[in-house]
Amino acid sequence: MKKLEEKIIKRIYGLETKKTTIYIVSRFFLGLILLFSIILSSLSVFDLLNEQHSFDLFNFFQDGFEVTKKYFFSNLYNFYQELPQPLTYILLTSIIILLVLLVLIIKNSNKIKNKLISLYKFYKNK
Amino acid sequence: MDLSEKEIILKIKQGEIDYFAFIVKKYSTLIYRHIGTKLKKKEDIEDLVQNVFISFYKSIDNFDHAKPIKPYLYQIVKNELKMFYRSRKPTLSLKEEIVIETKDESVFVEEDLEVLNGEEKQMLLKIGEGYSYEEIAKKFKKPLNTVKSIIRRARIKTKRNYEKT
Repeated sequence: MKKLEEKIIKRIYGLETKKTTIYIVSRFFLGLILLFSIILSSLSVFDLLNEQHSFDLFNFFQDGFEVTKKYFFSNLYNFYQELPQPLTYILLTSIIILLVLLVLIIKNSNKIKNKLISLYKFYKNK
Repeated sequence: MDLSEKEIILKIKQGEIDYFAFIVKKYSTLIYRHIGTKLKKKEDIEDLVQNVFISFYKSIDNFDHAKPIKPYLYQIVKNELKMFYRSRKPTLSLKEEIVIETKDESVFVEEDLEVLNGEEKQMLLKIGEGYSYEEIAKKFKKPLNTVKSIIRRARIKTKRNYEKT
């Protein structure tokens, strides 16, 4: 019976090793892809805005509080219209997905940490 | 270590998988004996015991820790046994002659419908299309028993005609 119990536990650890590895690797690569997409799209957006001199729209901040108050929303709207829409949407979506992923990873971090400790103990004593 | 089953399940759910050994040690003999009453081969029993615990581990995240483990394990045993019997069920591959025979049968039905009158033919065709006696009775506006006897007669006629040829 002891041999059978050992077999079961060994299979459970094998299963968990596979599951945890897939979890860590998939989250790592997904995070990496999202980060890469954020960097790439934000650089492109920045370059395009720089080319269009869209950042000049914010020069009115230097003209005092009254001018800023008067033109703030209209300038903001103009700036929004000058944004390259598809790239901005990609950027925003990537940021949102990355944030969700980070929240999920943080939420599961304790569980994954415990699993890694258990797996380490098992393979060390083997 | 004096931990209740509830605490053990909670710990496993939190990722401390080494606690699963407690469950295996506590229930493996019981499950082994239970499966042993149903199966004879030692290898089959051991395989099934392993599958039971692995199934339990896989579903542990959905397991309500307030409930006892034993009935849940027995339910898994029941399912595993069902799957085991299903996998061991002898199957026969369909022989070529049987397929040919079926084809011939469908040909004779179509040819021998000629011996039937219009009403009988239509009703028999409706049966072939999957209509029930009640539906046919409604469609032809006839009593159910009349429809039944018309179809029975039609079947006998086609059978006789087939035997003649």
